[in-house]
Amino acid sequence: MRVLPRLPAVRRDYLPGLLLAGFALTHPWLEHTMARHMGLELPGLFILGWFAATCAGHRLVRALESWNANGLPGLLFGLCVTGFWMVPAALDRAVLDDGMAIAKVTSLVAAGWLAGASWSCAGRVIQAFFVLNWVWMTLAAGLLYQDAPQQLCSVYLVNQQGEAGRAVVIWALIGLFAWLAHTIFVSHLFDEVERPEAIAA
Amino acid sequence: MRESGWRTVAATVFVAALALAAFAGVTHGFAAVTSDGVRRADIARTPRVLPDLGLVDASGQRLSLRDYGLPSSRVTFVTLVYVRCRTVCLTSAAGQSWLQGEIRDRGLQDKVRLLTLSFDPHNDTPQVLAEHARRLEADEGFWRFATVRDAVDLPQMLKLFDIVVLSDSLGGYSHNAALFLIGEDGRLSRAYDVDRPDIALADYLRKGPGS
Repeated sequence: MRVLPRLPAVRRDYLPGLLLAGFALTHPWLEHTMARHMGLELPGLFILGWFAATCAGHRLVRALESWNANGLPGLLFGLCVTGFWMVPAALDRAVLDDGMAIAKVTSLVAAGWLAGASWSCAGRVIQAFFVLNWVWMTLAAGLLYQDAPQQLCSVYLVNQQGEAGRAVVIWALIGLFAWLAHTIFVSHLFDEVERPEAIAA
Repeated sequence: MRESGWRTVAATVFVAALALAAFAGVTHGFAAVTSDGVRRADIARTPRVLPDLGLVDASGQRLSLRDYGLPSSRVTFVTLVYVRCRTVCLTSAAGQSWLQGEIRDRGLQDKVRLLTLSFDPHNDTPQVLAEHARRLEADEGFWRFATVRDAVDLPQMLKLFDIVVLSDSLGGYSHNAALFLIGEDGRLSRAYDVDRPDIALADYLRKGPGS
């Protein structure tokens, strides 16, 4: 039985790369509709980066430590990059311009990777700050995509915006509930009285 | 503050500056969030020179896009379409028809002209364009229909107007659109929403012909 967990551990090291190759192979299909692009590819790349950070484990956290106290720049980078690719003009450029397409993949994987490496050292207050900011930003963007009367992207028809907006709203809610579940079941935020040093962190 | 504290502050400021520069770059200095809005801001800020592109009009006559790029007492409202289109091009055509009526009513025939450019030269031959013009009851005196003579010039024309044309699965195209203005200086100087020819005309009248 001891041998079995080892195999997944070896596979785990290669898995982020394999998944990235999967994204590369399927990107024409993923980018064919706005909903797949915004609802599958963009969040998928971010999650892939986060997963790569968890595979790297504490080594990565320690390597970044001196430039990333409390995970502040790492989480800010994650917030800014995810916000950036929700700008319709940026999404257009990512489809039309190869350089921007590469920038999109690199920045989203890096954003997930840095956010994943920053999460554990961020402390609950900073985690809450970034998660809640990300949630309202994403929720607002998703609702705007659904309501906008004009064509937002040159490369996608106006009738695809509703579906894409709904996908973005679903991700905002997934993020919110995943964070709430994390605070309740993992960091046990509501089980104990906050210690002053925990608040300071 | 510890060294890691200063480093973190530096890294945070760097990330914030990078984000600011990226957002400013893609939104043309926070002018717009959509590509159409960015194009509108870009054209208004830096009017574009019309290149020497070979066109053929509905009567089979050869002309160059540069002909519209010469300083003139007339401005030109331009749309880009393909005749078989059953979506946004109908809005473009309705907008130009409305402009035609306004031009007549206001006696602006010698000041404003209309140009409809097709980006589907394969299907939109001069005959097809002429039939299209008849359906729209276009006045030959100031409304012209044309397409590129040689399909290799198509990318240059689409790039000039920032029109993105994608084949849809139904044998047609999906594309964005706008109502463009070539000013009296012969440069592509404004882009308006395709369904708001009223704003485009009001903008022209507000500035006054000859300004």
